[in-house]
Amino acid sequence: MTQTASAAKKTARTKAKSGAVARKASGPKKARTKKKQGQAFPFTAIVGQDEMKLSLILNIIDPRIGGVLVMGHRGTGKSTTVRALAEVLPMIERVKDDVYNRSVSEYIDGNKPQRGRNTLTPEDLTIEDIPVPVVDLPLGATEDRVCGTIDIEQALTSGVKAFEPGLLAQSNRGFLYIDEVNLLDDHLVDVLLDVAASGRNVVEREGISIRHPARFVLVGSGNPEEGELRPQLLDRFGLHARIITITDVGKRVEIVKRRHEYDEDPQAFLKKWSREQRKLQRKILNAKGLLPEVSMSDDVLTDVAKLCMQLGIDGHRGELTITRTAHAFAAFNGDKEVTMDHVREIAGLALRHRLRKDPLETMDPGEKIERELAKVLGEVEEV
Amino acid sequence: MIAFTDIVGMDLAKQALMLLAVDPSLGGVVIPSAVGSGKSTLARAFADILPEDTPFVELPLNVTEDRLIGGVDLEATLVKGERVVQPGVLSKAHGGVLYVDSLSLLDSSAVSHVMDAMSRGAVLVEREGLSEVHPAEFMLIGTYDPSDGDVRMGLLDRVGMIVPFTTQNDYRARKLIVNCVLGKNGSEDTEDELKMLKGLIQAAKEQLPLVSMTQEQMKGLIQSAVSLGVEGNRADVFAIRAAKASAALAQRADVDEDDLKLALKLVLVPRATRMPQQEEEVMEDMPPDEEMPPDTPETEDQEAPDDNSSDPDEEEDQEETPDMIEELMMETVETELPDNIMNISLAAKRKSKSGSRGEALNNRRGRFVRSQEGEMRSGKVAIIPTLISAAPWQESRKQERKKKFGKVNTALVINKEDVRIKKFRDKSGTLYVFMVDASGSMALNRMRQAKGAVSHLLQNAYVHRDQISLISFRGKEAQLLLPPSQSVDRAKRELDVLPTGGGTPLASALYLGWETAKQARTKGVSQIMFVLITDGRGNISLHSLYEEDAPKATKEEIEQELEGLAASIFADGIASVVIDTQMNYLSRGEAPKLAEKLGGRYFYLPNAKAEEIAMAALS
Repeated sequence: MTQTASAAKKTARTKAKSGAVARKASGPKKARTKKKQGQAFPFTAIVGQDEMKLSLILNIIDPRIGGVLVMGHRGTGKSTTVRALAEVLPMIERVKDDVYNRSVSEYIDGNKPQRGRNTLTPEDLTIEDIPVPVVDLPLGATEDRVCGTIDIEQALTSGVKAFEPGLLAQSNRGFLYIDEVNLLDDHLVDVLLDVAASGRNVVEREGISIRHPARFVLVGSGNPEEGELRPQLLDRFGLHARIITITDVGKRVEIVKRRHEYDEDPQAFLKKWSREQRKLQRKILNAKGLLPEVSMSDDVLTDVAKLCMQLGIDGHRGELTITRTAHAFAAFNGDKEVTMDHVREIAGLALRHRLRKDPLETMDPGEKIERELAKVLGEVEEV
Repeated sequence: MIAFTDIVGMDLAKQALMLLAVDPSLGGVVIPSAVGSGKSTLARAFADILPEDTPFVELPLNVTEDRLIGGVDLEATLVKGERVVQPGVLSKAHGGVLYVDSLSLLDSSAVSHVMDAMSRGAVLVEREGLSEVHPAEFMLIGTYDPSDGDVRMGLLDRVGMIVPFTTQNDYRARKLIVNCVLGKNGSEDTEDELKMLKGLIQAAKEQLPLVSMTQEQMKGLIQSAVSLGVEGNRADVFAIRAAKASAALAQRADVDEDDLKLALKLVLVPRATRMPQQEEEVMEDMPPDEEMPPDTPETEDQEAPDDNSSDPDEEEDQEETPDMIEELMMETVETELPDNIMNISLAAKRKSKSGSRGEALNNRRGRFVRSQEGEMRSGKVAIIPTLISAAPWQESRKQERKKKFGKVNTALVINKEDVRIKKFRDKSGTLYVFMVDASGSMALNRMRQAKGAVSHLLQNAYVHRDQISLISFRGKEAQLLLPPSQSVDRAKRELDVLPTGGGTPLASALYLGWETAKQARTKGVSQIMFVLITDGRGNISLHSLYEEDAPKATKEEIEQELEGLAASIFADGIASVVIDTQMNYLSRGEAPKLAEKLGGRYFYLPNAKAEEIAMAALS
């Protein structure tokens, strides 16, 4: 039996034993999807900032896109939008109360004995539906809470070394959100990079040895004026959405009005937007269903490769991301065939942060991508 | 204790606080003011006009992260045998006031936590085995002395009202303040006045929901925010709330011109990033977001709001009224900000050193990030991790002891190897202050080289957590183009406009650099390096700056001035590099002399590439 299984079982056992002891409701052992205070502002009621909204939606449709980095002006609704995301996310199935949100097959995999037959069969497990988790990683988080550590209560009271899962465990199969990601401690960045690359979290500390799946969509936001993001972390994000202050007075009036309405009576406001919310949720679900059927012709693929080459993008992550994103975008639009039109819409999102940084370059990366795209498509005269 | 009503002067600050008392959702008030103007007395007196039992929590500048956001109460935890949580300062202020004196001196990680709590209305604790949410909705009252440095923009953005900076020069007012402090405390007059004031605020609170604002007024305020280049949407909301609270205080149901003016003064103008006239110029480098399709909900549902279409009848007078408010804005801008907006408004503060990073692990101070094995004496003991590492062995150790000594006296057996000490992060990157001679014929060339070198250094800055600042000098005075920063984006933006030509105020540059260095030191930057790109021939004296008609300084005087400055800079432990890019035959050896005075090194790099300059600075 692997460490994971034994620890998890131990946890379960001791929990049952100590059931009589009064414990706060927020006891950390129980798998939970932490509900934020009250309900968030509805995603669909957010005015403008389409780049960010689209990036998030595409990541729901295909989590392999690799997350979004949202950088831009303060006070433009970055974190409001990410926190609103939870309400339009679909449900996923997990083994009941599993702290790592594992699906049945993952669970059986994780509990596979070293040799011999599987002792667990799907029939042994109860399943439950939970909304895709959105986990907030605050700046002040310490490493032990992020990765998980020994459960101190149990260690002190009963001397049992039980593993207490951290935020990485909670965010498995969900979203991990870091506001002010550019201010995140270097040490935590290292941990994240490591886990994001391998899809699993390995904890070797305080005499415990645990590995558990930790595949999450990384969402980060911040204001570039507060500090730069480390290049390795920048590269980790699938998409890069830019967000700026809306200068259209009409839109800003609408923002203020909606905010006011929401503050006055959140319930009524949510109700008013529930139809929109459901509609978007359906659209996302449909796209998710359609995604396996979406295909991309070799011609389009060649053009994409050419574009990446001409922009001088290192490695294949750029091509991979742009292809996946284009697929998701086509699916979102209900199309089964990816065209260059789809690619054009998302190329900036997928490539903006991958261009080699020339300190004296004044051209906006988005423009540069547009220009190269036009060249690839032979439309260069028009530009 | 001095009561709110006793405080003389600071009328705008008082008004702001009253508005906040009426509508706490305005988030807070920041009062920049010079030492001794009574700003902190005022802030503390604010508690008087709030309902009784409203929490008033003062945030000490040296607050630890544990105390700020909360942590494990060790004593209670050990007694009870289960985790007991002690809430932090932020959540103690829930439903009341969080007061920070000297906001600009608050540690940058503490600022981040305050910001986070303000946008969430709660504190998220994910540390040392704790995972909790504590409500933390508070009003932030912050005071600071601008000469101590600036407050981070992100924080100011979340605070509704920012009182325009004034130095209180009126000696009569001062005299009154002194009298108040000495005499009139607690008199019956004061108590009556306070009672009245409280009644007024209570009445205003009841009035507030009845106050309405016309569509045009709203549009006008927002139009003003756009013209002033206010970033983000928070200010719009704050401005509207402030205007309404002001109307409520006057027991009106409609917002009038005075209310709008006050909202402009306290909310929008302090956030201006540009003068309204400059509109076209600035619009150019704004990315075109008008291209975005209007965000209309795709619905046939009549109820769902429809974005951009306002009613036709509103459309008609829309052309006039928002314009009138814009006029009002111009008027406010002109009267409130007589000289230049950039010095007073946050536009200057936007350049403030933010996110002061550049941290290194140490054992004593800074921000606690993790614990590791170590000697008890080598740092602060991390108690929870120590307990954690000791916990699994308690059973066996107790048995061992029983065997050895017959009985166990202590509840816990902690051995030396269990001890964990805290690893902190502390700021310690290097600040490079570039001073570029922008005068003379080679100026353009030097500027380009400097830009390249700065960008080059910044590219590597996130590795070392270094910061860069840039000063250019020409004409009469040196100019701080880029305050200490790590941001490539910002550096690029600031460096794109570099004026060249004119005299060479070298002394002014050194002085400005020295000031910048001193300020950075107070924020924890320990190492500072000056990089001067010049031929070393200063010909403008510092004195000419302060005395309009001072006689032209002689060469010797300038020389002396430079020598004195250089010696002080050297004595302050600031390292220097002088890079001379002038063609050799023109040089008369001034640059090597300057390097000598600064105790720094001299490089002669004609036609230097940006990388070479960067290397020289790093060497």
